[in-house]
Amino acid sequence: MVSARVIRNLKTEFRNSALAKIGLVLVVGILVTAAFAPFIAPHDPTEQQLDQSELPPLGFSETTERTTSQMVDGEIQTVTETVEVTPDAAHPLGTDSLGRDMLSRIVYGARTSLVVGVLGTLLAGLVGVPVGLFAGYHRGNVDDVLMRIADVSLAFPSLVLAVALIGLWGRAAVNVPDPFVVAGLAPGMPESFVLPITVVLVVGLVNWVWFARVARGEALSLRGQEYVKASRALGADDTAIIWNHVLPNAITPIIVLGTVQVAAIILLESSLSFLGFSGTTLSWGFDIAQGRDYISSGQWWIASLPGLAIMFSVIGINLLGDWLRDSLDPGIEGEGGAA
Amino acid sequence: MSFGRFVLKRSLQGLGVVWGVVTVVFALRFVTPGSAINAVAPLDADQETRQAIAAELGLDQPLYVQYGQYVSDLLRGDMGFSYIRGQEVAGLVFARLPATVELALAASVVAIVLSIPLGVLSATRRNEPVDYGATLLSLGGISTPNFWLGIMLILVFAVEFDVFNTSGRGVDVGDVALSLIGAEPFVGTLLAWLAYITLPAIALGTYFMALITRLTRSGMLDELSKGYVQAAQAKGLPQTLVRYKHALRNTLIPVITVLGLQLGTLIGGAVITEAVFSWPGLGTLVIESINTRDWPVLQGSLIVIGTSFVFVNVLVDAVYAYLDPQVVND
Amino acid sequence: MSRGARAAPALRSDDVLSVEDLSTRFFTEEGQVNAVESVSFDLRDNEILGIVGESGSGKSVTALSLIDLVESPGRITEGEIWYRDPDLADEFRADDAVGVDGDHVDLRTVPPRVRRSLRGPSFSTIFQDPMSSFNPSITVGEQIAEAVEVQRRANANPRSTRSRTQGYGLGQYLIDGIVPGRGYTSDESTERAVELLERVGIPDPAERVDEYPGEFSGGMLQRAMIAQALAGEPDVLIADEPTTALDVTIQAQILNLLREVQAERGMSIVLITHDLGVIAEMCDRVCVMYAGEVVERGTLDAVFDDSVHPYTEGLLGSIPDLEDPRPRLQPIEGNVPGLIDAEMDDRCYFADRCPKAMESCLEKPAERVVDADAEHGAKCVLADRPYDPSEALPEDHFGGDAE
Repeated sequence: MVSARVIRNLKTEFRNSALAKIGLVLVVGILVTAAFAPFIAPHDPTEQQLDQSELPPLGFSETTERTTSQMVDGEIQTVTETVEVTPDAAHPLGTDSLGRDMLSRIVYGARTSLVVGVLGTLLAGLVGVPVGLFAGYHRGNVDDVLMRIADVSLAFPSLVLAVALIGLWGRAAVNVPDPFVVAGLAPGMPESFVLPITVVLVVGLVNWVWFARVARGEALSLRGQEYVKASRALGADDTAIIWNHVLPNAITPIIVLGTVQVAAIILLESSLSFLGFSGTTLSWGFDIAQGRDYISSGQWWIASLPGLAIMFSVIGINLLGDWLRDSLDPGIEGEGGAA
Repeated sequence: MSFGRFVLKRSLQGLGVVWGVVTVVFALRFVTPGSAINAVAPLDADQETRQAIAAELGLDQPLYVQYGQYVSDLLRGDMGFSYIRGQEVAGLVFARLPATVELALAASVVAIVLSIPLGVLSATRRNEPVDYGATLLSLGGISTPNFWLGIMLILVFAVEFDVFNTSGRGVDVGDVALSLIGAEPFVGTLLAWLAYITLPAIALGTYFMALITRLTRSGMLDELSKGYVQAAQAKGLPQTLVRYKHALRNTLIPVITVLGLQLGTLIGGAVITEAVFSWPGLGTLVIESINTRDWPVLQGSLIVIGTSFVFVNVLVDAVYAYLDPQVVND
Repeated sequence: MSRGARAAPALRSDDVLSVEDLSTRFFTEEGQVNAVESVSFDLRDNEILGIVGESGSGKSVTALSLIDLVESPGRITEGEIWYRDPDLADEFRADDAVGVDGDHVDLRTVPPRVRRSLRGPSFSTIFQDPMSSFNPSITVGEQIAEAVEVQRRANANPRSTRSRTQGYGLGQYLIDGIVPGRGYTSDESTERAVELLERVGIPDPAERVDEYPGEFSGGMLQRAMIAQALAGEPDVLIADEPTTALDVTIQAQILNLLREVQAERGMSIVLITHDLGVIAEMCDRVCVMYAGEVVERGTLDAVFDDSVHPYTEGLLGSIPDLEDPRPRLQPIEGNVPGLIDAEMDDRCYFADRCPKAMESCLEKPAERVVDADAEHGAKCVLADRPYDPSEALPEDHFGGDAE
């Protein structure tokens, strides 16, 4: 439960830990970026400007070979020339092979990552926590069955299972209108955000088992507590006991696990997009896959920059998780699930 | 309970999980959109082929007969037939398995060899520069997507410096073993093998290196503060033994549990690492089979992956029981 | 270099150990903690010296300071620890940086590796909680065999090279782990472990060497720890609350065992306890510690029968008397102070709890000799003069009740 002691621990730990501060700054930064993407992105991230393609980020210039063909005396002649491509201040992080603005794509990519990460974690928690609490509280057959299901579920790597399920179910996505653009506050930005709904479902379903395991462990240890026994003796029904007594006391490790899971699901989402198993093309993983074909021809930034965005987001969330873990000390081992 | 009985018990439990894996994969044919035939037949198959497949799979039979058929086929090593590739699934899957095992083992070696000394160093030199370095390195390691790390490694070591191969598996570990008995020059073969495997192994192993470093560091700090460490120092035991024989041993016991749980991450990571480096393993086979809607191959791969996971976990438990013999009695 | 510049009483030839003005501080985020404050005492041949005090009085840190095992953020900041070892004295006699006086060497001035090499063969330690002092995942026999091996390897080399040859590197550990039949311990050291277990009265020692600490009872494990301490054949045995974690019936057995092995081996024992009953039964001489200081010391009879310091009197008043079970427990009111340097006034630290506190107690009392023959000394003004109620401090002098 969130007591005064917990708040005090959080504060003390935050004051003493430079890493916790960095984590909070990174996470707040990403939250703001994702929420206000239409105002932060300088361009429409999907707008193609072929005459502006493959511009390097500010501070870098690139020599590249351009082949042009022209009609000379009725014959087509190809001319290969080495040209110097210089950055353009309108595209501070450069552009990709189709002339789309990298900065805008990275800003909008934060939305996809964060929305999938948070929704997927919520779904996993909503499935896993009740199942785990119920099984741990009742023990016996229910518990045995759950643990065997969990064992089987763990035997399939998250990524493999997610890829297989998306392969079977297809890549559905829904368009969610962007309120800022609909209200006319950010003209020229995409009117809707593409939510890859299958990906959310699948990452939630492959990661529920981590929540079930932690919730079960907590319920197992809490069911022996005096106040739970007393409630039972007073005739309270099991659902009420689980809801009123077991869940509030199990919430701390679940929150810490949830934090770590957001990071794990962001990594999983980027892997799925990288492999082409996502319903949206506006994603860091997707851009890395696009940029991969250009690293041998010199356009290193297309693949590199979105990866840095993933790395710093996940570092931020992991630091936040470490901070919570160190101050709440729920004693869960390791970190669950990942790409 | 003896060590042998413990391992036997865990093996039987493992068999139960494998049975669950098989059942789940069998059930996959019914979550496929449309008829179960779609899960086996190529999209462009004509009506005749579809009927032939339906008859062969026994789709007109009651469910339990289909299931019995499926399980007994598997027991005979028959994983079905890929109509798209025109090949037996079992042959296809087992031809790809060694490459994935080689990659996963190489990554584990990279991870374990670097992480445990780093974690111990970090814990014994707490708040010194080496500890800060290890902490940052491991934080970055658990936060970096391995496919991106792979691409960056290619960018630096293959594109810029041209040191390593970036695609495929030109030389496998078997060739290196053969060169030992003189089939090929040993050093040359070894270097050629390293040129292929080094980058994928680093890309896949980094996350685990970082994870184990973190677990080892926090576990060692925990253990070093315990009474038995002080008692061991007080009786004059050399520092090496206090740290490695006493504290590290107890640190590794929970670390091994977490690693067993994280094994799925290793295999999942192998899938995507193979995609980056065009490594001809099970992972690329899974992706290819989904892209071509070759469900029998996907099902076969899932069974092999699930079974490998269970097998290695039983192995991990055996190591656990060896390190901490009291586990056997619980 | 001869004995330090300060005017200290001369070392006696029967002093195994002589501690002079030892101070150990902890440098924590809350401030500097003076855990041990100018502590002095001697340990003679064949004697049991008791150190008694409430928890938090600095007894255990004193013990750890002796064997140089104070962990960061703690550090010994001052003092001398003279240990009698003629070979060690000869080795360092020519070394100007090391304090040598006759057969005695000041361990604070020798290199850290030399101090480390003395653990086991010279100083053995028995800790309070046997359950946490054994590694749960290594057999009891193996852990005792390790202590035997430390002693065996120490004796295999001449004194002067010992601190260097006792090292055991990581490479060697790895090789010993991989090559079958090799290891730090040997069959001989395991056999010796069986003998030691037998000596401390563990039945079926040949079977029990292969058991894990979890399979032992607390009392049996404390016996095993004594066996482990004997393995080094030490000159000095430090027993830090050796019976506190045990049942009353087992306590007496363990104390008997300690006395037996002390007589048998001719060791000297530093017995640290909060239990004056244990002190009365076991010790020849006693030091009473309060707030990091030795406030009273002397022979057992002198301290117990003619105690000067009101704290000692208070402790004596709180011993339960088994023959006379009428309630006469009079716990001393209040708590041991926190020992944070910034909060310590320059006064008698006990004054705030002392029923006989007077105005002169607001100055820090020096140690006074009460009876030179009994080596009886006390850091209390009452050694010089009787209590005078007219000079008593008002009750609320320290901010009302001692909270």
